[in-house]
Amino acid sequence: MRGTNLKRWLLQNVGFGTALLLLAVLYISYNMMHPRGFSSAVAVQNANETAAIAFVAMAQTLPVLLGGLDLSVGAVMTLTSCIASHLVSGSPAQILLGMVLTLLSGTAFGLMNGLIVVYGRIQPIIATLATGAVAVGLALLVRPKPGGDVDGDLNWALTNSVFDFADTYGLADGGNAWWLRPIANVPVPVILVALIAILVWVPFRRSVTGRTVYAIGSAEGPAFMSGLPIHRAKIAAFTMGGFFAACGGLYLAIQTSSGNADIQQAGAYTLNSIAAVVLGGTSLLGGIGSAIGSIVGAMILRVISFYFRILDIDPLLQPLIEGVVLLVAVSFGAFRTLRVKNKLDLFR
Amino acid sequence: MKALLKLSTAVAVFALSAHMALAGPKAVSGPGADPQCFKPWSNETKFFQWDAKPGPYRIAVVNGFVGNTWRIQMIKTAKAFAEDPAIKDKIKEFKVVSTGTDAPAQLGAIEDFINQGFDAIVTIAVSPDGFDRVIRLADKNNVVIVPFDNVLDTDKVMQVNEDQLAMGRTWAEFVLKELKAEGKTSGKILEVRGLPGNSVDRDRSIGIHEVLDASGGNWEVIQVVGNWDDGTAQKVSADAIAVHGKFDAVIAQGGTTGVVQALLDAEHPMVPIAGESENGYRKLVAKYADKGLKGISIGQSPGLVAISMKAAISALEGNVMPQLISVPLPVADYTELKDGVNYWTDLPDNFFTVNEFPPCGVNISGPAIMSQSEADVK
Repeated sequence: MRGTNLKRWLLQNVGFGTALLLLAVLYISYNMMHPRGFSSAVAVQNANETAAIAFVAMAQTLPVLLGGLDLSVGAVMTLTSCIASHLVSGSPAQILLGMVLTLLSGTAFGLMNGLIVVYGRIQPIIATLATGAVAVGLALLVRPKPGGDVDGDLNWALTNSVFDFADTYGLADGGNAWWLRPIANVPVPVILVALIAILVWVPFRRSVTGRTVYAIGSAEGPAFMSGLPIHRAKIAAFTMGGFFAACGGLYLAIQTSSGNADIQQAGAYTLNSIAAVVLGGTSLLGGIGSAIGSIVGAMILRVISFYFRILDIDPLLQPLIEGVVLLVAVSFGAFRTLRVKNKLDLFR
Repeated sequence: MKALLKLSTAVAVFALSAHMALAGPKAVSGPGADPQCFKPWSNETKFFQWDAKPGPYRIAVVNGFVGNTWRIQMIKTAKAFAEDPAIKDKIKEFKVVSTGTDAPAQLGAIEDFINQGFDAIVTIAVSPDGFDRVIRLADKNNVVIVPFDNVLDTDKVMQVNEDQLAMGRTWAEFVLKELKAEGKTSGKILEVRGLPGNSVDRDRSIGIHEVLDASGGNWEVIQVVGNWDDGTAQKVSADAIAVHGKFDAVIAQGGTTGVVQALLDAEHPMVPIAGESENGYRKLVAKYADKGLKGISIGQSPGLVAISMKAAISALEGNVMPQLISVPLPVADYTELKDGVNYWTDLPDNFFTVNEFPPCGVNISGPAIMSQSEADVK
């Protein structure tokens, strides 16, 4: 019985399963080649580099599940990081308030995206192309020049291992408490991403609204005929996207202790988020996939570039190689076409 | 992900201990080593000294954006200089990566090289802020970080750049000198600016206007924005000539080949000109100098990477170093241009000519860089 369950799960999640396997192979061999592989320091560095793109990839997942694309996720991340660079400093209460306001601003931006798509009846890709430009414009207004002073302790605590976090704030006997031992070496960003995924994504996915998002992506007409709350689900999906992008922006601001309204960076994050979503086994046609898969996709995307630092690859060839590896990785998802029994399945 | 997490936790060693004593450079008093090459920015510049480490060293270059001639030439220069007999024996391992305009990726690459035990990291920062964490880590591990070109808004690391303000002043002074020789003390000057909002563009323009204002002459300056790009600069210069007719002199921050081309196309009389260090511009000055195109050429050199590498090695050897190093401006005017020496008729127009800094022992010529093929280094 258990065996059949696992088999069914694998068949239903081929894309995600492949991605997980690919990540495991890539990451373990990276660590074996790294002079300090399998150490906390390497894990902390890798996690820091991946956190922002993981959040943005989660943000991109929801619109993709609907069958659309959100071209504003990178811009919302940039906007929220610029907002955070002004607000996240001062007393602990002020810092907390700043974080909440940052997350709220991103969520509100996502809500606006959703309202425009639903009530404006505009294709998501066009609506978010426009709102993305608005977000970058606002970011430039908020922070015309790079800078800002995010709390230095917060920067250190959230970009290190759990031990350093406890040590910085004097929690759990300065990080030496027995119950902290098992997780003392885990990077804080890993815990942050996992917490957001478990506390926000999983409940949402299990709710009626969340299931409706999948139903819309599979077949919007039948979903409507079945009486599912189409509008609510679409608005919720974009709002959640805004929230996840704001998580990415907040982390980016804390990581760099500053904000930078970098237009090119915003664009790069949007494109990379789409790549991560596809790598993670989510179908661009909608209806299949998950935000957890997108986190895995974002990790694969980053691990590929980690290799350039341990291998001797010509710097001018690196972008080419990265592109080819990415293409190969994405092609894994196309293997399902090899086992279709009926050509009509391809239109699924 | 969970399995991985468990694995990394289980095998993890206590590598990054927060209780490690904070090391890093000591603030000392000057003068620094080799002041001809490592010239302090100003009299207020602080001096740093790291504990001497035995060589040879492992050095990494972490570039951000890649994709224009300047950056590609910079990377080629770095690779060529690492093979230079003067420092070859001092380098054990040399790596170059480009991270694109992605701050977390650049910070991650720097941190990764610190983790790998590299001794020095030379970088062009993608953002003037946000490096606090890697600076802290570098200091802990006695790693020397050297940002150059796009430098950081901090005085906690050693940095290398050219004085953009002085560049602007030198351009304006040259043009005024040439105009005076023609007997002109007032007139119309075309100023072609760079990328808007960039500190380099701002500082160069401030330098130009300081000198023009101080000269007391009645100068009417027409500003156009050329984005340091030949095509853009040519178009905006052509427009300016069409509208204003005739200029007495031209000062261009970049894209100078295009600016001169616009003058030629409009059959504008050849006038004194100040510009960047593009090979095409120098070719044109050499060709038309006797017709009146009396030019000066100063550039932000891709060779800055070589000086940064040299500074990093000097710091690792325990020498006293200025916190902010001002690299001498590589200047050449029309009287000094010589084919095969400071410009090359057989090299492309968009090649940046200034690569050599004799006071620093950085003597990689243009052709040597362009012949540096990908296979040579391995």
